Amino acid sequence: MDLSLILEIDDLTVGATTPGAAPILDHISFRLSTSEIFGIYGESGAGKTVLSRALANWLPESLEYRAGRVAFAGHDILGAGAREVRIGRDIAYIGSKPQSSLDPTVPVGVQIAEKLHSVRPEWNGRECRDRVMQLLGEVRIPSPKERYWDYPSKFSGGMMQRAMIVDAICAEPAVLIADNVTQPLDVTIAAQIVALLHDLCTRHKMATIYLSSSLPTLGQFGDRTAVLYQGRFVEQQAFAELLAAPQSDYTRKAIASVPRMWETAEGPLARRQAQGEIPLMKVENVHRTYRARKRGTFNTYSSVQAVRGVTLDIMPRENFGIVGESGCGKSTLTRLLAWLETPDSGSIVLNGTSLGALSSRDLIRKRNEFQLLLQDPYNALPPRTTVGRMIEESLLIRGRIPRADLRKRVIAAMAEVGLAAELYDQLPNALSTGERQRISIARALILDPKLLILDETLSALDQREQGRLIELFSKLQEKNDLTYVFISHDLAMVRKVCTRIAVMYLGEMVEIADNHHLFFDPQHPYTKALLSAAPTLEQKPFDPSDFLLEGEPPSPIDIPAGCSFASRCPKAFGRCRVETPALVEHSPGRFAACHLLDGDQAQAAA
Amino acid sequence: MLILEFLVKRIAQGLLIVVITSLIIFTLLRVVPGDPVRLIVGGMAPPDVVEKVATKMGLRDPIIVQYGRYMRGLIQGDLGQSYLRPRSGMIAAGGQYVDPTKSDMALVTDLILERLPFTLQLGGMALLFALLISFPVGIAGGLHQHGWQNALAFGTQSLFVSIPNFWLAIVLILFLSIKLKLLPALGYQGFSYVILPALVLAVEIAPFIIRTLTTSLGEVMQAPFIDEARVRGLSRRRIVYSHALRNAAVPLVNLLGIQLSTLIGGVLVIEYIFDYPGLGNLTVVSVVGRDFPVIQGIAITTSAVFVFINIIVDLVAYLIDPRVEI
Amino acid sequence: MTATTVIAAELEPRLARIRSVNRRILAAAWGMWSFKIGFFVFIALLLASAIYPEVSSVSATKMVVKDKFLAPVYLGDKWTWDHLLGTDQLGRDILMRSLIGLRYSLLVGVVTVVLIFVIGCGLGLFAGFKGKWWDTIIMRITDAQLSIPMIILAITILGVSRPTVPTIIIVLALSGWPLYARVARSAAVAERGKEYVRGLRVLGAGDWRILLLFTAPNILPPIAFVAVLDVARMMIFEAILGFLGLGIQPPTPSFGSIIADSRKYLLNAWWIGTIPGIFLAVALTSINLMGSALEKARNRIYGGL
Repeated sequence: MDLSLILEIDDLTVGATTPGAAPILDHISFRLSTSEIFGIYGESGAGKTVLSRALANWLPESLEYRAGRVAFAGHDILGAGAREVRIGRDIAYIGSKPQSSLDPTVPVGVQIAEKLHSVRPEWNGRECRDRVMQLLGEVRIPSPKERYWDYPSKFSGGMMQRAMIVDAICAEPAVLIADNVTQPLDVTIAAQIVALLHDLCTRHKMATIYLSSSLPTLGQFGDRTAVLYQGRFVEQQAFAELLAAPQSDYTRKAIASVPRMWETAEGPLARRQAQGEIPLMKVENVHRTYRARKRGTFNTYSSVQAVRGVTLDIMPRENFGIVGESGCGKSTLTRLLAWLETPDSGSIVLNGTSLGALSSRDLIRKRNEFQLLLQDPYNALPPRTTVGRMIEESLLIRGRIPRADLRKRVIAAMAEVGLAAELYDQLPNALSTGERQRISIARALILDPKLLILDETLSALDQREQGRLIELFSKLQEKNDLTYVFISHDLAMVRKVCTRIAVMYLGEMVEIADNHHLFFDPQHPYTKALLSAAPTLEQKPFDPSDFLLEGEPPSPIDIPAGCSFASRCPKAFGRCRVETPALVEHSPGRFAACHLLDGDQAQAAA
Repeated sequence: MLILEFLVKRIAQGLLIVVITSLIIFTLLRVVPGDPVRLIVGGMAPPDVVEKVATKMGLRDPIIVQYGRYMRGLIQGDLGQSYLRPRSGMIAAGGQYVDPTKSDMALVTDLILERLPFTLQLGGMALLFALLISFPVGIAGGLHQHGWQNALAFGTQSLFVSIPNFWLAIVLILFLSIKLKLLPALGYQGFSYVILPALVLAVEIAPFIIRTLTTSLGEVMQAPFIDEARVRGLSRRRIVYSHALRNAAVPLVNLLGIQLSTLIGGVLVIEYIFDYPGLGNLTVVSVVGRDFPVIQGIAITTSAVFVFINIIVDLVAYLIDPRVEI
Repeated sequence: MTATTVIAAELEPRLARIRSVNRRILAAAWGMWSFKIGFFVFIALLLASAIYPEVSSVSATKMVVKDKFLAPVYLGDKWTWDHLLGTDQLGRDILMRSLIGLRYSLLVGVVTVVLIFVIGCGLGLFAGFKGKWWDTIIMRITDAQLSIPMIILAITILGVSRPTVPTIIIVLALSGWPLYARVARSAAVAERGKEYVRGLRVLGAGDWRILLLFTAPNILPPIAFVAVLDVARMMIFEAILGFLGLGIQPPTPSFGSIIADSRKYLLNAWWIGTIPGIFLAVALTSINLMGSALEKARNRIYGGL
């Protein structure tokens, strides 16, 4: 027996407990040596989570082992060897939903120490606690001794995932299973976590199985990689060789489907300009702050500055993109643009009319001109309402319409977005995500708007449906002379679709540029960091290691003076911490808010 | 700090609620027909005697004035004097005319304080019995959602909630006390007298506890973090008792706060049936006898107890689960 | 072929019969044996109390002293077929009295619950959806109402004048509405934050329109299913009031007053108190079985959605 082999998987087959159901995992075999990092690629739904759970002897009740052997250091954990191997101590698991992994009523550190003490009873309570605090520091959680006593709700997604990493490695397992650990995280945070995990695995010499639905992320781990398709491994080789010479068709297709942002000339068509155009929507110095009662006090309020002085012009027939990570204020800005909330100061002017000056009756009429499409099609549509009724609602709000007329107009709108007329009296329960989004589009279109704001509308869709909807959007744009505003965190989608893009950070716009310039010659350090962190198989036009960010963005309650990015910027200097940079047009059509771009200052810092 | 602020805020609100409740009861008593003076002086007395006594007792003044007088006394801790009971303890009724403005009537405060401990003892024992019955049944039912344990919990709870408390009291008295002579029934001459009434009350409370426990424990056991605790290496015992039960306890604690009203109602009826010398008994007699000061005093006491227990309930909920809003 | 028809053709016409959620809950409850038992027993009692007193010639209130203390059939020394379940201390037929008592019980129970539902949910929905000011006021009122236990309210109001069915219903409704208001309010608050409400606002819909056309039909059915349980609760309260002498006044039979009177005869004529109690307990159990089954079905279907 090869002593360096820590895990041997042979013919692992798993399926549902209902008899006759097809297997979800079909004869999976592979070997893992100590200190080796093994990557597994699979699309969502391919069975990655089932595989990761099967390896830890943790199948849910609806599934069962049909065949196979999982041997840890020679002991089959699915059989007699189960007594020798303790899950949690010898084999550890990190999942993709850190926020729901711990008991919300007990402090995080206490729970990790509890787990440590359970699987290593030879260490007493105090030793466990000290060890956990030390590890929390090692994963770069600031003030680990204090955060030990914080409750899970106080941890952000990235912080929580770091805590779960501590939870997994604290007992010094020999094998670590990481299942899609960066899925729910923002791009820049995900990049940090991946680097952190890689570092820990090599340092603590843990054999790691890393499962992901993102090929580029697996690339960062490098070693042997397997591709999971329809429950089987369709190939297994080192990552570099996989890219260069994929053995199966599926792998080829998977590699081809990784969005390319730089190695392609494909981009949106430039918009049709007209003479003497005025912006369709003018956003002028808009501010929005929320007051929240500070917990732990009676009458003190903290101010959350969600949007701080945003100014934009959206030109007709443009596809304007707004990108940013969570907490940047995108959602608040979206609500302001859709006039669901009113700005505390500043104005929004649509087609020459200031929205703030309208009476409520005029406002309803004006709403015909601009509509909002939401992200989650399952929750965005009123429950227990038929398709036809949902679309009718847009017209019914505005007054009575004869039945026949109503029906005709609704069916016309449905046809325009590609919904069959038979769906009129059906509930949308059986429709796919893409079809549901079409209902949202139909009920907006029936009002004949000029501007459509899309709030992460394409994020919930898979590649194919996304493609189809993008086609629909461009068709509608041609026919109805529409302008779009896309709010998204998906850089690949934005690269494909948007003509002009604004980058948002902590309530402000830090850069606005057209598509090509933003991606190939970003000006602001945050934009560079964002693009560096985006997982891709290509070479980036600038050195990513220059821009790998540390830590998390400051809280919008406590925004430091000067440039809000200074705390994480690798190129920050004195002036950055004192004076807030203004959004300046350094070259025609390209705006950026950074002191480094002021000619002489850049010289001094370089 | 947060807890201190919470207490201050809630106690202030509580005082307000007690004041409002007392005002409502106060007004209600004087507005609804039924003149206490008539009951005191007797049905035969001529109207001018009734008027004279009533004026002397201050019952013909405007309600606001009466309320002001009452409040003044309240602040000094004086809840007034009973209309019916003299200090010696015997109730005055019909034939015997005891002038409540002249003789030394029992202090309401005394009456209440002397009976409160009995009622608290009854309530406490009932709660204890209820928990002893509900927890094993409820936990087993919650953990085995599709097993016989769940059916048992469902059956027990349906049965208990359908039995009228007074009927059960009568049946139990018939069997356990009269036929089998196991437990004493009426009155109070020692601790064993609290057992039967407490049992009946426990049967009234238990179904809600069982129901909440089975449902919320069932829900919590489906939560992702419970599932994940298994792969993290925690033993099932620890998962259920240190985590699942903890999370399931919050709805239960909230329930107790809401059920308090029903509990108080139950105590009243039980004390009446078993002739148990608690506040409930006093209430029934006082209302029938239109003994205003005693009724008001009890209403205030009940209200205060209610507020107090709700504050405790919310505090405990917060201590268990810090996401609770306080 | 235009792009539209290509896309339309790609969509499979999934025209499966999608039943409304409420129908699914009812179907799920019907599937449980507990519901069926409760349902049939309840219907039997309902029909009995509605029909039997009309067709029988036996009186529930006329005193026939020579027939007093007759035992139920086969269960004592003196019994006759005329009085299947025996007679009480004044010779009145116990079966008849129980059924009439059941009538009043059901009447009070159902009407009270309907009132509580309408008032409580109405106020609660309004408070939850509008928020701020309205919310605070209505919630404080519920707090104050909740701190006055039903019994005390009942004794205070009913203990003075002759209680009638309407006054009993009003007292019970007053003590019961706060619970529904609270439940409806928290449901409304949860709905208010949902995405679809935002979607409708963007289309231009106002608060009232959203509340009445969309939010209420979402919130009310789950509460309504559980309201069945409260019918039983109100029936018990009515019986308790009757027991204390504050309910429907004799000679009209009501469970509480019958059982209260029967205490004196417990030893020699136990059936006077026990039989009506059994009627009440069975009626309550059947309602509780139905209500619990509905609750379980509701939790299951809503959990799965």
